Amino acid sequence: MTTTAVTSAGIASEAPRSDFGRVLAQRERRFAAALLAPAFLALLATTTFPLLFLVYTSAFRMDLAMPFTNGFVGFENYQVLLSDERFWASLLVSLVYTGSTVALQVIIGLALALLVMDMKRGQGWFRVIAILPVVLSPAVVGMIWRTFMLAPEFGIVDFLAINAGLGSKNWLGDPTLAMVSVIAIHTWQWTPFAFMVLLASLASLPEDIYEAARLDRASAWQRFRRITLPLLRPAIVMVIIMRTMVALTAFAAIFTVTAGGPGTATEILNLYAYRKSFTELSIGYGSALAVALLIVTIIISGLLFAMRRAK
Amino acid sequence: MPSFKPTRRTLLKTGTAAAAFATFAPAFLRQAAAQDADLAPYKSAQIDWQQVSGETITVAVIPASYFENLITLAPQFKALTGIDVRFEKIPPAQIRQKSVIDLTSKTGTYATHAADPMYYALYAANKWVEPLDTYLADKSLTDPAWFKLDDIIPAWRRANGIDGKLYGMPYDGEVTIQVYRKDLYDAKGLKPADTLEAYMSNAAALNTPNDRVWGAALRGVAGAGQNMYIYPSIFREFGGDWMKGGKLAVNGPEAEAALAWYVDVMKKYAPTAAANWNWPDIADAFSQGTVASYIDAHSSASVINNPEKSKVIGKVAYARWPKGPSGKRTTSIWNWGFPINSALPEKKRKATWLFIQWAASAETQARTAHKFAGPTKRSGVNRTSVWKDPDYIKLMNGFGENFVEVTMGALQEDTDVDWRPRVPQWPAIGDTMATAIQSALSGQATIKAALDDAQRRIEPMMRG
Repeated sequence: MTTTAVTSAGIASEAPRSDFGRVLAQRERRFAAALLAPAFLALLATTTFPLLFLVYTSAFRMDLAMPFTNGFVGFENYQVLLSDERFWASLLVSLVYTGSTVALQVIIGLALALLVMDMKRGQGWFRVIAILPVVLSPAVVGMIWRTFMLAPEFGIVDFLAINAGLGSKNWLGDPTLAMVSVIAIHTWQWTPFAFMVLLASLASLPEDIYEAARLDRASAWQRFRRITLPLLRPAIVMVIIMRTMVALTAFAAIFTVTAGGPGTATEILNLYAYRKSFTELSIGYGSALAVALLIVTIIISGLLFAMRRAK
Repeated sequence: MPSFKPTRRTLLKTGTAAAAFATFAPAFLRQAAAQDADLAPYKSAQIDWQQVSGETITVAVIPASYFENLITLAPQFKALTGIDVRFEKIPPAQIRQKSVIDLTSKTGTYATHAADPMYYALYAANKWVEPLDTYLADKSLTDPAWFKLDDIIPAWRRANGIDGKLYGMPYDGEVTIQVYRKDLYDAKGLKPADTLEAYMSNAAALNTPNDRVWGAALRGVAGAGQNMYIYPSIFREFGGDWMKGGKLAVNGPEAEAALAWYVDVMKKYAPTAAANWNWPDIADAFSQGTVASYIDAHSSASVINNPEKSKVIGKVAYARWPKGPSGKRTTSIWNWGFPINSALPEKKRKATWLFIQWAASAETQARTAHKFAGPTKRSGVNRTSVWKDPDYIKLMNGFGENFVEVTMGALQEDTDVDWRPRVPQWPAIGDTMATAIQSALSGQATIKAALDDAQRRIEPMMRG
């Protein structure tokens, strides 16, 4: 409050001096607008327009297999969607996938960060190695897991499972195991992100509080519960928000690993929308599904942001 | 002593010369190849090959040796017609989507593309491609006595036709056959299966996972071109009819029996991993000696006979599909055909037709197969006359005993135009069925539940 008062007072005192300043400021604004315009227009053309077009398309029946039935249908696609079992099933899969991958990423990432903080040597190396999965393309990660790691009889994970006495498992062919596998893959790839962010925030925590806590004979667990966690809260919430938005719209890794299979066991909403639009060629209904995913993502991130502001 | 001191100028000179050579050398070589090639067999056709000289067309193909061979011969086509052909290679997984997007938007990007026979119903319903009969009947464009349409494998022409009209000219195709390890079969005194029952019992007899040999393998991965490529044959052999009383039906007792047979073979006698396998994976496993038999495309023979990778060369033999309870054998009628994009202006359509006629002609088929200079020859030529050519037969029988006999037998007797439901909604139906088959295989749903669910999902797709 005080700062705004000061600046406006400053301007007010300068204004009468001449109109020149005002003209200059106006020119400045125009110049800024001109500089901004190309980027703004490009953004409008590449993001806002397609988004509006998607919403527009979702109000049509656009079925390439039966062009003679195409036309405006209003909310019919959404009515169909509400009674579409596969939509609800894929929404559930999406939520399970998102919830479990984000929780695992934060828990494992935090554990790793705490562990690495106490490392005296080799911290740099550990960070470099840990970041490697993040820089890989999800499609490549999917292919590697599908062929080298999870293939029954031939893959590394299955080899380990056999040697551990668990026996050969059909990792991607069994509905439950396939879900576990895609969650594990996503967690494997993206935990380093949470780890890096949390490690950076851990490093910035003030040491004196801990010292005071130690003098007060707080146990390690108490220090973690009462000091580390509350201080890390903003970072953790930020990680949760960012990872949730990405997990909800994940596509490439699941598409290459299971393509939603076996059956529809790992078919997230995104994948269902893709299949409806581009495999079944029902573009209108596919668009409605994409809009539904958009709404779900907005609601969930809205809730998370509200959570962040609360307290 | 005079020494060579490169200055900036000499460097520029030699550099430019080298660059010029690098740019033009391939063109020179291609031109030389084109001039060397004898165009007389083409010129005997009573048409003016040069009538739309100067046109440029783009053709989308998949990266496969049978198209690579054709691309190599393109300079000959240019010399013959004066038409430039630009080839775009698109992987099979994307070529359908890309061409559908091109056809809907009517941009005419691809004058023709390697088309999936199951898509002609969709193409024809939207009038995206031209019926070829007008081109075939036009005396200025086609010399029927030279082109000999009847020589092209009839099953593939039927597969690419809708209501008796041809929409795509078959270029290369395949049939599905049994491929088996002769040595393993002989050791147990087994004969290649004549019935689906016998196929199962053969697989049971040879299945010894502890020695890393499995009895059989079929395509397991979900997809209209994967598990929904092999299952339709079984469905038809069990007496299934896709269009029962004019209404598309994918469930029912025949479908349940067919899917049960498939799931049985896969669960009991195939490697667990086969649930995610497509044909290259099956052929790889077979060539490593871990699979005793599989049923898939005859063209996979080139993989299992690859001297660099295969451990089973000389131990392979072939047989036609085992008969189903209905007494029928049903093979795939898959082929890559070339349609003409309707969005093109007339001159380009003519140019496209000339290209298609050239590619599908007996001469080009031979020049891309046994007469091809490169190392990879084609196994899916489109003409009966080439299949009867002694040179071609000799080449093909290098894949193992009775290869040609079995392939021709399957082509002539086991083809079935209603192998898969030929309706415009096929992309959606194929995907739905693929998902259903996989959920039955993985145990996500029972066989009956999976098929009934597929039927429930397919019904609204068929309603206008």
